[in-house]
Amino acid sequence: MRVLVIEDDREHADFICRILTEAGHDVETAQDGISGLVRARESAFDVLVVDRMLPEKPGLQLVKEYRDAGGATPALFLSALSDVDNRVEGLKAGADDYLAKPFAPEELVARVEVLGRRQAVPDDVPVTRLKVGDLEMDLLSRRVARGETRIDLQPREFKLLEFLMRHAGQTVTRTMLLEKVWNYHFDPQTNVIDVHISRLRAKIDKEFERPLLQTVRGAGYCLQA
Amino acid sequence: MKSGPFAFIQTTTFRLALVYTVLFALFSAGLLTFLFQATVGAMRTEAKTRLESEFRTLAVAWNTGGPGRLEQSLLERALVRVRDFTYQFETVDGVIIVGDLPRMPIDTSGDLSEVRSVTFQVEGGVGEGDADVATIEGRVLRLGDGSVLLVGIKMDERLRLVRRVTRAVATAAPFGILLALLGGYFSARYAARRAEGLTRIAEAVMGGDLTQRADISASGDEFDRLSERLNAMLARLEQLMSTTRHAGEAIAHDLRSPLSRLRNRLEAALRTDMDEAKAREALVQTVEDVDRVLSTFNAILSLSRVNAASSNTFETLDLTELVDEMAELFAPACEDARLTFRSEIAAGLSIRGDRTLLAQAISNLLDNAVKYTPAGGEIVFGARAVADNRVEVCVRDSGAGIPVEDRARVKERFVRLDQARTLAGSGLGLALVEAVAILHKGSLDLTSADGDAPNSGLLVRLILPVSV
Repeated sequence: MRVLVIEDDREHADFICRILTEAGHDVETAQDGISGLVRARESAFDVLVVDRMLPEKPGLQLVKEYRDAGGATPALFLSALSDVDNRVEGLKAGADDYLAKPFAPEELVARVEVLGRRQAVPDDVPVTRLKVGDLEMDLLSRRVARGETRIDLQPREFKLLEFLMRHAGQTVTRTMLLEKVWNYHFDPQTNVIDVHISRLRAKIDKEFERPLLQTVRGAGYCLQA
Repeated sequence: MKSGPFAFIQTTTFRLALVYTVLFALFSAGLLTFLFQATVGAMRTEAKTRLESEFRTLAVAWNTGGPGRLEQSLLERALVRVRDFTYQFETVDGVIIVGDLPRMPIDTSGDLSEVRSVTFQVEGGVGEGDADVATIEGRVLRLGDGSVLLVGIKMDERLRLVRRVTRAVATAAPFGILLALLGGYFSARYAARRAEGLTRIAEAVMGGDLTQRADISASGDEFDRLSERLNAMLARLEQLMSTTRHAGEAIAHDLRSPLSRLRNRLEAALRTDMDEAKAREALVQTVEDVDRVLSTFNAILSLSRVNAASSNTFETLDLTELVDEMAELFAPACEDARLTFRSEIAAGLSIRGDRTLLAQAISNLLDNAVKYTPAGGEIVFGARAVADNRVEVCVRDSGAGIPVEDRARVKERFVRLDQARTLAGSGLGLALVEAVAILHKGSLDLTSADGDAPNSGLLVRLILPVSV
């Protein structure tokens, strides 16, 4: 995946480059808002990682101008400001995701990959069936089955599994799950999300030979056939 | 602002007073002029009408009865004491037949065969020393036998009243203007003094003294309203400043010890010869330490943000739904900790507030309950409407509770009771909940779950007004 990192802090930019490169991505950097915007326009990237505070042109304005000119590459905002207001502001300007500094490297990689990779089934595309391996979900009858075995899920478990299935093959973090499945934007201090995942795992994996729901150490979870 | 005895001249109030005084004077003068013209004009017209009608009456007397009849009519009129008219009837030789005046006041040598209008003045006698000379409007005619009849009407008499009014007003006007200026001066001085007070407050605040407050008089005027708002603003500023200062101090204080620990560990690692595995282990340890520092730092930051937040972003939200969702979020974690989780959530609760902050606060409360309640215990999570148009979100656990003497203390930042030190946490959880409560103009209340019996568990109530 080709990622453009627009970040003025040299050391921080190097750090981001390193973790993204280690995750197997092709990373380019820009040091300020104007050259970042120019690079984003003239070359095809899969994801833009944009710091909010940039010399020459603030990140917010950069993304806005990029979007106004028809740029479609998904953008992830990085910011030391993590207020809900700032997040909303960033998303309004045209960013697709928002990550507050400091962040765990795995969180950044997971979010970049979710943004950039062709999602198995995008969140907003209406489908009636999702399928990962022998796990099947019927969104109309709200039925889940693995092979021939029917699986009964609570409404929230259903939503959680739907999100995981739409992002099959991608690592999703706990914070992402709290944001996307519960719609809350704070850092869960306890293991509440893990407990929900283990419930779900008990239902979809326990009786079966091949587990689908993997824990990615230090990062989150991945549903994979 | 310049000071000195004439500083008030520069004030807006005084300038306004001045403008109004001038406008008032101009208006009064205009009104009086108009009134005078209108009254005098009307009176003149009326006098002339009466004069002409009187003259016609006498002419009729002459026509029907000749000089004798006219003379008699005039004599009859002379018997009326108070009258407006002056008569003079003389023969062709200038001998007075009937006359109010000692002699004909006008030149009668010209052609008087037609009625002529004349104006003349006579000496004195108009009364009350008002004027020594009276102006008389008259009609004069030479009659068929050559005699001359003059009928006049005094104009001055009729204008006297108008003149008096005018003179009174003219005399009073300077006093009025003086009074207006004095009033302007005093109100300007009052306004200037109040404004000066506010200016001094502003200067003191700029100088860094946020404890200054504007005086409020009992009158409740616009200055008082301004002062009240200003004082409220200063109180808020002072609070924010002190929050910021405390946050700064807290950050300095609470990050110093973990950072020193970290430094010591690194220092020690540098001095020891170690193989790669050992070194890696030390690094892993270091990253964990840094993560802890960062998470403390984040907690401090979010606490400061809550303290500095305003209710501008509040929305009306379905509290029942939010609390239901939090219950649903935490129920599995409770079960995993082998705790019984019960929720008693009233339907249809709604308040104005910040959804994310409330969720964070409630999550902190539930988090604490899960952490500090031993396995086998029970957590009751509820929300309901209470008195005074408020709602309460409560979390009751069957843990060890908090001793009465520590209950106020645990809400402070970084206070962790001894039994909590071994568990993960920043010591900022309850401080954040309380900050969220205060932001919503509510409160955070810690009591024993069962009366004041010791070790009966803790009851935490987050009480929030329905509308802020």
